[in-house]
Amino acid sequence: MALDAPILTKRIPTPPFGDIADRKVVSYDQFVATGGYAGLDKAVSMTPAEVIDLVKASELRGRGGAGFPAGLKWSFLPPEDGGQRFLTVNADESEPGTFKDRLMLEFDPHLLLEGIAICMHACRLDTAYIYIRGEYHLQRKRVQAAIKEAYDNKIFGPGSKLGQINGRDPQCFDHRGAGAYICGEETGLIESLEGKRGWPRIKPPFPAVAGAFGRPTIINNVETLAMVGPIMVEGVDWFKSMGVARPEGAPPTVPASYGPKLFGISGLVNRPGVYEDQLGITLKELIEVHGQGMRNGKKFKGAIPGGISMGVLGPDQYEAGLDFDIGKKYACLGLGTAGAIVFDEDTDMVSVARNIARFFAHESCGQCTPCREGTGWMYKMLTRIEAGNGRTKDLDLLLEIAGSIGAMPGTTICGLADGANWAVRTIVNKYWDEFESRVKPTLVQVTVGS
Amino acid sequence: MAWITKNSATMEIERRDEPYLTDAMKAKLTADVLPRFPRKQAATLPALHEVQHAYDYIPHQALEEIAAFLELEPSVVMDTATFYEEFFLRPRGKYLIWVCQSLSCEIMGQPTLLEQISAKLDIEPGETTDDGKFTLMTAECLGSCGTAPVALVNEDLHENLTYDNFERVLDSLK
Repeated sequence: MALDAPILTKRIPTPPFGDIADRKVVSYDQFVATGGYAGLDKAVSMTPAEVIDLVKASELRGRGGAGFPAGLKWSFLPPEDGGQRFLTVNADESEPGTFKDRLMLEFDPHLLLEGIAICMHACRLDTAYIYIRGEYHLQRKRVQAAIKEAYDNKIFGPGSKLGQINGRDPQCFDHRGAGAYICGEETGLIESLEGKRGWPRIKPPFPAVAGAFGRPTIINNVETLAMVGPIMVEGVDWFKSMGVARPEGAPPTVPASYGPKLFGISGLVNRPGVYEDQLGITLKELIEVHGQGMRNGKKFKGAIPGGISMGVLGPDQYEAGLDFDIGKKYACLGLGTAGAIVFDEDTDMVSVARNIARFFAHESCGQCTPCREGTGWMYKMLTRIEAGNGRTKDLDLLLEIAGSIGAMPGTTICGLADGANWAVRTIVNKYWDEFESRVKPTLVQVTVGS
Repeated sequence: MAWITKNSATMEIERRDEPYLTDAMKAKLTADVLPRFPRKQAATLPALHEVQHAYDYIPHQALEEIAAFLELEPSVVMDTATFYEEFFLRPRGKYLIWVCQSLSCEIMGQPTLLEQISAKLDIEPGETTDDGKFTLMTAECLGSCGTAPVALVNEDLHENLTYDNFERVLDSLK
């Protein structure tokens, strides 16, 4: 099911289409010479409503983890009222296993800027902020340089191709985060952008109605926006010729997973990295073709499908097809960002669970008690089990705590705790024997003497 | 019965006459950053980064100066500054080492690496060497899982680390 030609990585040499050693930052001129900004030219020749309809028809789903249809999100905005409206670009890529946006920002930032400009035109947004995580120093500088080039070439600023939007010249700025995973949550990101701590907001109101600075705001992931330019140029049918269609006879309300996707692969494989392929490739293909097989010929034990919050695919799920609706089929949360972490036979799954619980305990913003306390207690319990001091009843307690925290059980504002919940539960459930062998029985059998 | 509380309002802030947030910084923020946002408070993170970039940490006096500059209460700026991992409110070493300890890095050998770095520098994560040269920190995911294990030294990312190649990096720092 490999792609015929690279799309998002068209200008970023990536196997099997190119050699990583040839990667160079793509300048504005090189970008335009290779067909860049043609999507923007096409978009501005259409009405905003037509652009939104086209993106809707493509059924492009958000690449940031949740897989929410991008066109639908764009259509939630209220009518224009002359005030400012914002686009905030989520480049706060911080989830372990996820390192795909880094590639786009580092080598081909104009593909993102083109998507931003199209989105601003379609949704009538006058100001865009690219929220880049604080640790991405090189990537930030590359994006800043690209933004400057875009201003010089009238993508943004006075005399922009987009014309005036809401009576203002369209603007695009980078904004540096400062090391907080929670700022990748859309309303946490908005709070952080506003200069506050990154505490997610209670929804509704949704950002489309009242987001940044209380104004209508669209939030999209880097890869989602980068995908918009090629869709404008090549069209909906081309986009839908890739990926996984909905089952035959299913109503259009059933979501499908069309298009190409950046897949990350890290952990115990021979060639970790970011590769582009169609949605729906199997984990086996990802590991054997892109990852070039398991390191040292070891046996596959399991893999995180996409960022640690998604839970784990067990040893019997090697053939799992990686599309957005993977969760229902394989008892995990979803595809997430498609950044796989692969484990081999020597990996200690108790340590994996402990590492994940520590991540969430550390990154919990502390706003909702179930998340703040729950993640901390899971970390403590897993540390104890890892050290060999756990009891059988701890496993049940662990599952009970995990199952009770998150926005899905309805106990927290945002989904951070759901990530901890699913990660821990799926690992404990799918590797129950390993966990059980590490704990002491709660009830010790005794013989009653006469 | 009155509550007997400890007086916590006696914290002494080290002060100097010269402001940390210099006129040049203010001019830069006024020209480049403030026009980006409808509200001044949004310039908090950029201002904190600016100060930290100049002094390697953010003195309390600077928090007050940023607050005055952005027309906020100092406590509001403090609230924001203390939330983020990257902001140091106490002096740190000349070289700040962030060793990534998230899952991909851990399964690729980060725990041993961290122990070895810790032993070499003779400090635990969170501490600074006596000569003020290195501060060692652990980080949650630096977003480079494909080249794990990784570490940031100030703004430079070092990838595919082994103790040997990282020791060479540390030794080359003056």
